[in-house]
Amino acid sequence: MSRESLKQYAKQVNDFYLKAKRMPTYSEMLRLFGVQSKNAVFKRISRLVLSGFLHKDSKGRIVPVKVQKPVYLLGFIKAGFPSPAEEETLDLMSLDEYLISNPQSTFLLKVDGDSMIDAGIMPGDLVLIQRDLTPKSGDIVVACVDEEWTLKYLEKQKGKAVLIAANKKYPPIEPKRELTIAGVVIANVRKYK
Amino acid sequence: MTTPDCITLSSYPKAIMHVDCDAFFTSCEQARDPKLKGRPVATGQERGIVSCASYEAKRRGVARPMRMFEAKKICPELVVLPSDYELYSIYSERMFALLRQVTPDVEEYSIDEAFCDITGLRRMYRTSYETIARSTKESIQKDLGITVSIGLSLSKTLAKICSKQNKPDGFLAVPGNRLHEFLGGIPLERVCGFGPNTVALLQKYGVRNVFDYVKRPQSFADKLLGKTGRELWQELRGVSVYTVSNQPKEKYLSISKTKTFMPASSDKDFVKGQLMRNLESAFIKLRRHHLSARTIVVYLRKSDFREKGVEARINRQSSSTLDFTAVCSQLFESVFEPQAVYRSTGVIISDIRVEQEAMQLTLFESPLKIEEIRQISKAVDSINERYGKHTVHLGSSHIVSQKGNHPRNMAAWRKQELLKGETFRQRLNMPLLNISVAEK
Repeated sequence: MSRESLKQYAKQVNDFYLKAKRMPTYSEMLRLFGVQSKNAVFKRISRLVLSGFLHKDSKGRIVPVKVQKPVYLLGFIKAGFPSPAEEETLDLMSLDEYLISNPQSTFLLKVDGDSMIDAGIMPGDLVLIQRDLTPKSGDIVVACVDEEWTLKYLEKQKGKAVLIAANKKYPPIEPKRELTIAGVVIANVRKYK
Repeated sequence: MTTPDCITLSSYPKAIMHVDCDAFFTSCEQARDPKLKGRPVATGQERGIVSCASYEAKRRGVARPMRMFEAKKICPELVVLPSDYELYSIYSERMFALLRQVTPDVEEYSIDEAFCDITGLRRMYRTSYETIARSTKESIQKDLGITVSIGLSLSKTLAKICSKQNKPDGFLAVPGNRLHEFLGGIPLERVCGFGPNTVALLQKYGVRNVFDYVKRPQSFADKLLGKTGRELWQELRGVSVYTVSNQPKEKYLSISKTKTFMPASSDKDFVKGQLMRNLESAFIKLRRHHLSARTIVVYLRKSDFREKGVEARINRQSSSTLDFTAVCSQLFESVFEPQAVYRSTGVIISDIRVEQEAMQLTLFESPLKIEEIRQISKAVDSINERYGKHTVHLGSSHIVSQKGNHPRNMAAWRKQELLKGETFRQRLNMPLLNISVAEK
């Protein structure tokens, strides 16, 4: 076993440790070193320990000596002025992250009525609805009142829930039998192009 | 209180949950479109076969895999929908994401089933395993609007039996010290791993239910059923043998792609185009997992459900579609009958290995040519990733892109209801609710 090949084995063990956050077992080292028998693994390990690439603890388990961590590059700095752009981008968020706080419970709804027109929600708009929020007074909600679906402001008046349109054409609705709230509107998307 | 029959005294040496969605495909449809709630719904219109029936439909006798016209006959008010796998995948991914918020050890067992290891989490959540499992169930219901059945017990096999017990919207937790009472009432065929033949064999030995089985000594299970029998014997006694693996599925033994088309066809070019499209899809999946294959099976299924298949093996491992096109059309020619009417075609590729950069070539091959073909596949994949699956495709499958698998009215609702900026190929990755909020 040349020093070069020993270094190679040490690197493989090191890489495994970085990835798995633990040392490999003998059977894992079979695959790591590409050998058929655990005796071959044992021989290699013994050499690595002898040469100081690895340690063994009192129970005979292998322990890393010095872990070589890869260095992550943020970007290459060209000669001249350094660019601060790469580091700053770490604090940015995507439009998705900006609009959505819980992706698992967010749904889309295409608006097809004019009940919220004075609140700036037009027919054809795409609203984002979050299901797991507890609806509060003043929220815009998608609700089912007595088996009719509607998009309205939710208000609480004298402890009772009332649905109020943002359009003078429609009077407030007080649910008679049943009120189900499918979700709270968290954003409105209107794509022009 | 223990009886001599008690198997173990501890409640949860391991706590394993099995989460199973109730009538998953139709539940997704009903969650997206509340008008469907409470009504009998079936998916699979484009195949002419019930692929999933809602509980309302099941109660009226609709079952899987019934032909759609038969289902309609026994349940005339049945709402028949085309499958929308895109929607089901979104719900599935969301459910797994929710489960991963509970515990990192989540095994995606199928599109609508998961195993979760929640051992040790009592201390973090400061509550019992049962409460953790119940609140998981509630949060899926609340966030996604679909119901699941959850079983909680000491091993995967037990958890799966538990989740099946009170379906739909069910919950059952069986701790170790209650196992002996529970297992007595469970017939053998409920155990995942006991097929009809195993059950029949065990019955010959007087084993009538699961409790009878675990009461026998381990050597009985070992002798009669071998390794699987022994493992199941342990699992059923609450000793967890099968671990919950949170690794994505990596090992593929084979990849198969089948598509049914409606109406059935005897048009040779069309049927061949369908087959070539399946070939493309199979290889896209193969390359996505960085694998290569060597063997291919081609099969055609007639409208009377009889099918015929043939197999071939090429001279080396490959991940390029183009390496298999010639052999695939040859196989097609050998099974296609001009007068027959076909309803589906399928491709299975096997002999799967991890793809290697350097490859052993045979004597008469040009490495340059092989490399060229590989580069073409790469280019095609990157174009399709950007512009949608099958944007660039084989000439022989072009007919499918033109005609489609099904008449347009059989396309999923979402593909007909495109939003501004969406195409037939690419849509937003979020479910669109089918609710009209217009004032009447």
